[in-house]
Amino acid sequence: MGHGSQFCHARGAKLLDAQRLTKTYRVGTETVYALRDVSFSALQGDFIVINGPSGSGKTTFLNLIAVIDRPTAGEVFIENQATSTQSEGQLAVLRKTKIGLVFQSFNLIPVLSAAENVEYPLLLQRRPKPEREERVRALLAEVGLSDLARRRPSELSGGQRQRVAIARALVSGPMIVLADEPTANLDSKTGEAVMDLMRRLNEEHCVTFIVVTHDPAVSRYAGRRVRIHDGRLEEGEGDGVAAPAS
Amino acid sequence: MGWRLPLRSLWRNRRRTLLSLAVVALGTAVSLFVLGFLENSRFQIQESTVQEYGNLQVASSKLWNNEADGYDYLIFPSDEERVTSQLRTESGYRGSTSELQFPGLLGTGRETQVIRAIGIEPENEVLDFAGYAVAGRGLERADTAAAFVGRTLAEKLSLSVGSVIMVTLTTVDGAYNASPFTVAGIYKYSNERFEQQVIFVPLAFAQRLLNTDGVDRIVVLLDTIEATNPVASRLAAALETDGTDLVPRTWDDLSPFYRQLASYFNALFAFLSLAISILVFFIILQVQTLAFLERTREIGTIRALGTTQREVFGLFFSESAWLALLGSCMGVGLGAVLVGAFNAIGIQWLPPGTIEEFTLGARIEVKTALVPFAVSLAATLLSALYPATQASRLRVVEALRIE
Repeated sequence: MGHGSQFCHARGAKLLDAQRLTKTYRVGTETVYALRDVSFSALQGDFIVINGPSGSGKTTFLNLIAVIDRPTAGEVFIENQATSTQSEGQLAVLRKTKIGLVFQSFNLIPVLSAAENVEYPLLLQRRPKPEREERVRALLAEVGLSDLARRRPSELSGGQRQRVAIARALVSGPMIVLADEPTANLDSKTGEAVMDLMRRLNEEHCVTFIVVTHDPAVSRYAGRRVRIHDGRLEEGEGDGVAAPAS
Repeated sequence: MGWRLPLRSLWRNRRRTLLSLAVVALGTAVSLFVLGFLENSRFQIQESTVQEYGNLQVASSKLWNNEADGYDYLIFPSDEERVTSQLRTESGYRGSTSELQFPGLLGTGRETQVIRAIGIEPENEVLDFAGYAVAGRGLERADTAAAFVGRTLAEKLSLSVGSVIMVTLTTVDGAYNASPFTVAGIYKYSNERFEQQVIFVPLAFAQRLLNTDGVDRIVVLLDTIEATNPVASRLAAALETDGTDLVPRTWDDLSPFYRQLASYFNALFAFLSLAISILVFFIILQVQTLAFLERTREIGTIRALGTTQREVFGLFFSESAWLALLGSCMGVGLGAVLVGAFNAIGIQWLPPGTIEEFTLGARIEVKTALVPFAVSLAATLLSALYPATQASRLRVVEALRIE
């Protein structure tokens, strides 16, 4: 399926490089640091879990590397390409071609069916209909939702919705999937199933996964673990350990 | 998602969509009804104006420009023939008749009244007013000193069929002349003032009284009102080439009342359309802004997935385009039903200054329907610009934070 095995020969290539990222907010007259001088890189095939308590700057960091927000200082490179100088339109193209996103609240489009939600990124890329249908069918099969393809998000359970979101994140063959608290709205058993799925897809597709979570249970899936505390990044156990080869 | 996402978003929020559609449809329907009513009134006035003036009249420029010295504007038989020959070449030409108008003093022995006498060719097919007789008859070819007087004048001077009146006038040579006339009939007309001032007499007798064989105008009737301007242009060009000072004037040129009324109707419709459009604009703006606020997170999501600002704008704008299109179409349908119902009721109305009731109605044609349709469409699309622009300019990260 997709880019998986084709690109696995490039395992270990640097895909994402964040250099000295700082993000501040103004609260009244005060400057609040959400991130301070954070540097980070991710290689192809990595499965990285970023831990940290609420308010530590995890989501801010994820937003910056997902190029949906811009840093106050520092630079995010994707495939050695600086992003700070790119226009909104160029960043949108970057997001739709190279980055897949999984949200804590699933963020599916409520008026579209499961299959149509998965199809959405391919429509943005103006892929031909036969290709879209084939990829949607394959991805839904891979996340175990072939039978529920026509259901609307409101007709799916939390775990099923998150699986649709994962399929949507992977459908256009991104290099990196960024997941923000993907298990936070799921019970522990469903959360485990979702993490198992992400890990399997990481191995099979050779796609880099970066998962932000405050749930310590998720850390055991990490090939590499990073901790953010008070806006600073600390490498944790498993530092530098790549995901197992497929 | 092409057309799917906007349509499904509209379907998902059915109550809001129905409200928007109702607002657009009602606005369109009311505009259409008002326009249809004004168009019908204008049409009726147009018809009666053409009945009164003909499609066009040909006269000397001296008469049209009030530059006459005595009766030096008269048209004599050779020029009259030249005009009618030219008119006979026109396919829409139905007929023409000549008139000779003159001011006079009408006396009954007890009372006098200033009048305008119109010498007409009796039983002509163009303009003889015989159909308006309420007592007696219209003028006939055999008549000589016969008069066809208005109802208001007859009431004022206590005239009836067979009454004898004396008309005093000045001949073309400046001499005084007077002649008794027998009232052959009494006519009614939609204009009270016209009824009181105008009497019709046979043209030949009028010429004899004025001591001339000339006429002051040639009244032309065409098959359709639409043919008026093209025929008038061609006739004007031909008369100019012939070197005469005869000039055609069209019915709407001849009736300042119609021109004023047409301008008034246009202004009235423009004002009402504007008021309705503003109302539609602000209601749809409100509804769409609310929709945009409710869907902030969804906008954040699709932007995060790589949808560009332009695509988000297109998405929201196309939702409004569907609303505008469907609402305007429904409005035209609703307007047609309203017009049908109104025409079926057949309300009678007596306009101020007139003596005869007429049936109020509304008249719609495809081109009439296009105006309110286009105005509603434009108002709805314009109202979508602001929320669509706001939606496209949302910062992704902020939109995603909204619960």
